[in-house]
Amino acid sequence: MSDVVLDVHSATKTFGGLKAVNDLSFQIHAGEIVSLIGPNGSGKTTTFNLISGVYEPDSGDVLLRGESIAGLRPDQVYARGISRTFQMLRLFSNMSVMENVLVGMHGRTQANIIDCMFHTPRMRREEEVCVEKARAILAQFPGRFPESRHDQPASSLSYANRRRLEIARALAGEPKLLLLDEPVAGMNPMESMEVMQQIRDLKEAGHTILMIEHDMKVIMGASDRVIAMDHGVKLAEGAPKDVANDPAVVEAYLGRRGADTAS
Amino acid sequence: MTFEHILGLTISGLTVGMIYALIALGYTMVYGVLQLINFAHGEVFTVGGYIAATTLIYTGVDATTPLAAKIGYFALALIVSIVLTSFLGWMIERVAYRPLRKQSRITALLSAIGMSIVLQNLLVIIFGPEPIIMPTAVVPTGFIEVFGVRIRLLQVIIIVTSLVLMGLLAWIVKGTRMGKAMRATSQDMEAAEMMGIETNLTISFTFIVGSALASIGGFLVAMYYGSLQYDTGFLYGLKAFTAAVLGGIGNIYGAVVGSLILGLAENWGVGVTLGVLAWLFVFGLIAGLYVQILRAPGERVSHIAEEFRTPEYERLIRSQYQLAPVVAVKTLLSERTDALVHVSARHAVRLMAGNIVLGFFAVLFFMNGEMQFASKWQHVISFAVLMAILMFRPSGILGDNIQEKV
Repeated sequence: MSDVVLDVHSATKTFGGLKAVNDLSFQIHAGEIVSLIGPNGSGKTTTFNLISGVYEPDSGDVLLRGESIAGLRPDQVYARGISRTFQMLRLFSNMSVMENVLVGMHGRTQANIIDCMFHTPRMRREEEVCVEKARAILAQFPGRFPESRHDQPASSLSYANRRRLEIARALAGEPKLLLLDEPVAGMNPMESMEVMQQIRDLKEAGHTILMIEHDMKVIMGASDRVIAMDHGVKLAEGAPKDVANDPAVVEAYLGRRGADTAS
Repeated sequence: MTFEHILGLTISGLTVGMIYALIALGYTMVYGVLQLINFAHGEVFTVGGYIAATTLIYTGVDATTPLAAKIGYFALALIVSIVLTSFLGWMIERVAYRPLRKQSRITALLSAIGMSIVLQNLLVIIFGPEPIIMPTAVVPTGFIEVFGVRIRLLQVIIIVTSLVLMGLLAWIVKGTRMGKAMRATSQDMEAAEMMGIETNLTISFTFIVGSALASIGGFLVAMYYGSLQYDTGFLYGLKAFTAAVLGGIGNIYGAVVGSLILGLAENWGVGVTLGVLAWLFVFGLIAGLYVQILRAPGERVSHIAEEFRTPEYERLIRSQYQLAPVVAVKTLLSERTDALVHVSARHAVRLMAGNIVLGFFAVLFFMNGEMQFASKWQHVISFAVLMAILMFRPSGILGDNIQEKV
């Protein structure tokens, strides 16, 4: 199909004797929200790291819009159009809210050292454009990042707002694919629902999203498709309801005996 | 002990401090991005001075050279030194540190020490063990008078040049795209990389900027003292490194503050009688009492949660600071488990102990007011000051940033 954004093609990654990801294949189409689920240690985060360039697959390939990105450095992968958020927040906490978003645009700007040294008009123009764009991105989170907060350090934000800022920073890279690593971890139910709505809005705005999530409500409410993993292999793939009721998936989460009782 | 004498010492202290700062910035920036002590940085500084001096010797500049040509040669030496030294800094990172980036930190540290020894020996092999003499013709010899004190023009040049360079650096770090990349890399290299920052390029840039600053420092020192030796950079590097730690390593403003304190301490420590030094302790004591009686209790009281805030509780915490010997010690001896009360009692006793030490030294120095440290005590005094400050602020004067680094 022509609208395939990401194609993970029988990717394998081993650490010592452990096959963290084993012959994993899946595709993500434009404008889709896909959730990656599975018990702890099932290889979800390794998969994310394979896609975002932290690891190189031992075998297999990762294609972004038909181009291989396996083996590229993380900053190169970012430049090709994959940006991500982190399970444990990793904002630049000493920098201001605005600066965090501007860092996300770093790979998109052209100005070099010479421009910086002499503060050329080109650089000033570019900087103004960046700040404008950053404002627009922050405005997508209504009421969360008013002008008055733009110059505050990121560390002064509440937990939920820091998570939102991570998403904003990732959006600054104008990604073709957005990777969200547990976007609602540590949030209360109301905040979770709000973030879920936000993710849906991102889809409306044309973004393609792959997320790792544990919160079933969010998975059911936001995703078009779910991929379940265990021990580095894909267990099931399909509509959220079907995957949640798949016997193999239930067994992976609850164990064989639990699965028997459940059915 | 005249005012002129003290002003003169202050100018010398600032001059030396500024040179320390130019070197310390390189240490602290590299530590910021890599958490690595670049022990070869002192040698980079020496090499910068050697290259400048060699260039000038090569041009054959002497007293008969016309002024315009002298300025031209001076600029040439400066540019050659900056370019070659920056290249050296870039190469050190490329050869000695980058291949070991993924290894344990002690490996890179050993590599740094090795690099430092290699560079020192290369200087001996190429230039010989004798000091290299700076051509005096290009060194400004004038004096200016401020409040009746004759100050060497060169000192003014050193201080002004350093201030300009520091301003430039602050602007690069704060205002430019590369500076943003540097700050992002220093906070979380992996996350920075995943946000599209070329961290290797950023690290190279950090080494280049640090080395350029050190090369200018080397040039200035060669002019100030007239000569440089292959091992000059060892002591300067060590001093600058301690200054960076004193200011809080990883923080560029801290490096400047620490360097100035160290430079001033060295010059004041041996330049004035104990009677004058005692006044410093008096000022310290005033500041200490201000913290103990006004600032610390106010701050601590503001930590009380709303639901526990009662006048008695506030009064108890305040009295621990203000009447520290009585109330705080009583708290510490009792079996109180209230964390806030206990913590502030300990804090109060510590502040009080600090103030007593300051007062003791003030009295001791006043009583021996006519005595003066001999100049061979210079390094001892500067390191005593360093240790005293680190005793009370282990992370350095402006060193809060490090604690955020996991």
